[in-house]
Amino acid sequence: MRSADTPFVRSAARTDLDLHLRVNGRSHRIRAEARETLLDVLRERLGLFGTKKGCDHGQCGACTVLVDGRRVLSCLTLAAQAEHGAVTTVEGMVEHPVGRLVQAAFVAEDGLQCGYCTPGQIVSATACILEGAATSDEAIREAMSGNLCRCGAYPNIVAAVRSAAAVVERR
Amino acid sequence: MPRYARPSTPDEAIALLAEGGWTILAGGTDFYPAQGARPIRDDILDIGAIEALRGIREDKGDIVIGAATSWTEIVRARLPMAFDALKAAAREVGSVQIQNTGTIAGNLCNASPAADGVPALLVLDAEVELASTRGIRRLPLRDFVLGNRRTARAADELVTAIRVPTASAAGRSSFFKLGARRYLVISIAMAAVRVETDLQGRIARCAIAVGACSAVARRLERLEADLVGRPADAAALGVIGERHFDGLAPIDDVRASAVYRMEAAREIVGRALADAFGTTAGQGVAA
Ligand SMILES: Cc1cc2nc3c(=O)[nH]c(=O)nc-3n(C[C@H](O)[C@H](O)[C@H](O)COP(=O)(O)OP(=O)(O)OC[C@H]3O[C@@H](n4cnc5c(N)ncnc54)[C@H](O)[C@@H]3O)c2cc1C
Ligand code: FES
Ligand code: FES
Repeated sequence: MRSADTPFVRSAARTDLDLHLRVNGRSHRIRAEARETLLDVLRERLGLFGTKKGCDHGQCGACTVLVDGRRVLSCLTLAAQAEHGAVTTVEGMVEHPVGRLVQAAFVAEDGLQCGYCTPGQIVSATACILEGAATSDEAIREAMSGNLCRCGAYPNIVAAVRSAAAVVERR
Repeated sequence: MPRYARPSTPDEAIALLAEGGWTILAGGTDFYPAQGARPIRDDILDIGAIEALRGIREDKGDIVIGAATSWTEIVRARLPMAFDALKAAAREVGSVQIQNTGTIAGNLCNASPAADGVPALLVLDAEVELASTRGIRRLPLRDFVLGNRRTARAADELVTAIRVPTASAAGRSSFFKLGARRYLVISIAMAAVRVETDLQGRIARCAIAVGACSAVARRLERLEADLVGRPADAAALGVIGERHFDGLAPIDDVRASAVYRMEAAREIVGRALADAFGTTAGQGVAA
């Protein structure tokens, strides 16, 4: 990689971007490189450490966030790609009408062991319920298959999603 | 250090591509893994803001799927039953998170032998539409994907749409994928079929494609020909023989041995056909 003090910096002027991000209802203005992922920006620049980096390759789901309500992997999203959307992370779940219930259900059902995968599970489960996909245990397992849990807390995770979905249904 | 551009029209995108040096970024689900452990170095042409590349429309009877249409959008779209195989394939791509951002053209351009979209689109006789400042051209999918990670796309071309001709949007279709586990898995083998029956319940036309058993997914033309004219029922499956799989060249790798892949291909072609027959030959219309 060419360092910034080489004479060939003409194109470098266009590589730093002024980004305006909306995260959990708050606006942030940051200067970031084009190649910085949303995950790195959330953690390293905005100090939002709830979103976890499990694999950085799209395989574990620990970095799941909502962009305009859709669950996406922040490790496979550039911060620049998220500029025009509203980002919701696990920190935003307390104010999210469904996310709040999912968090409570994870506590009540003991849906975690070490907790590393849990922020991704909670954000993913929130989207899963809003997608209408939490119709049975089997459907929940399929819809949540993008979120791995190394501790194997799956039975309780499924129970948490099921019970949160039932509460949402009753409202 | 990479540059970044996010145009809002196809014309702006192809003007940039004509400059050279840009790598297209759609959903990014293949782009990032392709960078390996290195930081991203390519100049990034993000096509995610080009509305004209999204969504599904009809054009003179053809069904046109915008290049940047996500798998989730395909799963949710109202489409003829001939697209059931494509929808089933869409539900198998990674996880919901991957399907929300991963796009149909990204799957084709990445040209993995295990790309789930390819067999389903091969049985629909899909064409790939490419645009550059030099003009627009259309290629049948089988002439677009040339090999493992190789396509006929020139560096200055943008894939704008995938087009399914009216005539091929008919019949029932089915898709089977075999992986090492049920979810979030790269295919060991997959099969897509599309079957059209006549009023007597005989096979009038059929299309069969197998993926992950050769560098590029392939149609099984001899089997297709041997099935035409037979009643679309379980007995027709009896004609399936070793000779029909001659064109495949499965490899041994970490996921499966070549022998296992060949066996698997035969099994899932049979299952996919039975599934398509079941719904085409049956009296009642499936819900
Ligand atoms: C964890 C994980 C699991 C996966 N599982 C599966 C699976 O089960 N089955 C499967 O088939 N795939 C799978 N994939 C691969 C990937 O998600 C799909 O191939 C997806 O459809 C790629 O689309 P994209 O928009 O993300 O492509 P991108 O990553 O944006 O692009 C892929 C390639 O295509 C080029 N490109 C994209 N759009 C265009 C265009 N319009 N014109 C010209 N070039 C273009 C890009 O330059 C790049 O080279 C998986 C990926 C991950 C990370
Ligand atoms: S860190 Fe993004 S999927 Fe694992
Ligand atoms: S609780 Fe430890 S990884 Fe899921």
